[in-house]
Amino acid sequence: MANEKLRYPLITAGVGVLFFLAVDTEPAFAHKDKHTAEQLQAFEEVFMEQVKIGDLLFHGDPETQKRLNVNLSNTGTACAMCHPYTSDTHPHQFPKFQEQMNEFATLRNMINWCIEKPNEGEKIDPDGPAMKALEAYIYWSNRNSKLDPGRH
Amino acid sequence: MKWTRSCVSLALIPLHKSLLYGTTGAAAYGLFFPLINTIDIAFAQGGQSFKFAWISDTHLYPKAVNKRFVEKATRAIQEVQAMNPPADFLIFGGDMAQLGDPVELQLGAELLKEITIKKVFIPGEHDWYLDMGATWNKMFGAAPWSFDYKGVRFVGLDTVSHAEDFWTSRKMSAKERMGNMATLDGTLGGAWAAVGAEQLKWLNSTLASWGKDKPVVIFSHNPLYEYFPPWNFWVRDWRGVHEILKPYSNVTNIHGHTHQVLYNEIGKLRSIGMLATSWPWPYAPEGVPILTRPMIRVDPGEPFDGVGWSIHTMDPTGHVENQYKMWRKEVFADAGVDSNAQDSHEVLSPRVADRI
Ligand SMILES: [Fe+2]
Ligand SMILES: [Fe+2]
Repeated sequence: MANEKLRYPLITAGVGVLFFLAVDTEPAFAHKDKHTAEQLQAFEEVFMEQVKIGDLLFHGDPETQKRLNVNLSNTGTACAMCHPYTSDTHPHQFPKFQEQMNEFATLRNMINWCIEKPNEGEKIDPDGPAMKALEAYIYWSNRNSKLDPGRH
Repeated sequence: MKWTRSCVSLALIPLHKSLLYGTTGAAAYGLFFPLINTIDIAFAQGGQSFKFAWISDTHLYPKAVNKRFVEKATRAIQEVQAMNPPADFLIFGGDMAQLGDPVELQLGAELLKEITIKKVFIPGEHDWYLDMGATWNKMFGAAPWSFDYKGVRFVGLDTVSHAEDFWTSRKMSAKERMGNMATLDGTLGGAWAAVGAEQLKWLNSTLASWGKDKPVVIFSHNPLYEYFPPWNFWVRDWRGVHEILKPYSNVTNIHGHTHQVLYNEIGKLRSIGMLATSWPWPYAPEGVPILTRPMIRVDPGEPFDGVGWSIHTMDPTGHVENQYKMWRKEVFADAGVDSNAQDSHEVLSPRVADRI
């Protein structure tokens, strides 16, 4: 995603300016100092933007798929059709031995398995923007779940 | 949004326990103990035994888009037709199409031609919101309807056509409206499932001429009780339905939409949830009736797993016995690890748009 790359330096720069204004003189590393409300809000916005993109992908939005150059399904089906509210995606259980794959797997492995098998779509870059967004949406929807790695 | 259901007046309505406890309740009350129906079978003798078949939630896309859903619908249809002795009739319980497309409905009608016994139909939301039921009603007839057969009054309801208009003010196209309604956790449809005032009146007068102790079977796409409103696993006016049904001692509701094994009893009303042929929905985060023996967790890599159809046997006492024709050996889970109904560590949040 083109403007994603553009945005992060902008936020960093913004944070830098805030910091600079706050301490007036010495340039230093922002993360060593107390966070301002604006900074925290900026971080939150970056995260929630990814959640919303992930939500769109998860619900099969064609424009978002096109923009991120992914094809998550060739059968008309979308993730949310089997997983309303991301139900039964169990991000809190990963990594774990995943029966269908017969291997020790991460959530990203499982996402790609679902894209490839039930959805008959095309696997996505495990470190690419679509995967990160899907992960953001799934984790956010399950943020009150209790970590339970390895559980079947 | 909070899922805790609104405080229902306990004094007015005899609520089933399942309405008061969510999945936590279900866990505490032992979903995994063997369950039996709790309504006493003490109906008048003298009726006749017969069978009828249920198919629903085929969710057909045009053939070129998705062959699997066609194959699964076809398998159910062939199995119904192969019943020996044959069923007396087939009820198709809605969601024949995925996006209400006349091409999808035509495909469904074409596939169903293979079944030669009597067929009756009720609509699902996926059949409705492209053209507001025009094609559906033309092809399969309008609901509600009722007929009497071998001492049973059968009723078919429309529980899908009463969505609040969210599309006009947003200037949405018919396709956009359908797309929203076709998303179970969609953010605009709201509490669309309902019987509606007019149909409630109709139901009341339709049953008035029927003996209070005689068997009634009501087909509806959505369950006629409150299971999980955010996914319309209910009808919003279920209290009104129950008020009407209260005097009748032998009512069975058979419903689709939930794509899963479900069983509930509220007062004298029994409620049985049907499988889809297309795909199973996970159990909702709360509200699974404690009388439900949960279905087994299925293999998402196996398209024919966790789906199927049903044979219902009406015995001479007027009791409906349901047999899930799920395409696997075991239908029910005996332990939490084999079901998705009981992961106490999973806590889900509604979608962003639902929170605005
Ligand atoms: Fe359905
Ligand atoms: Fe439905």
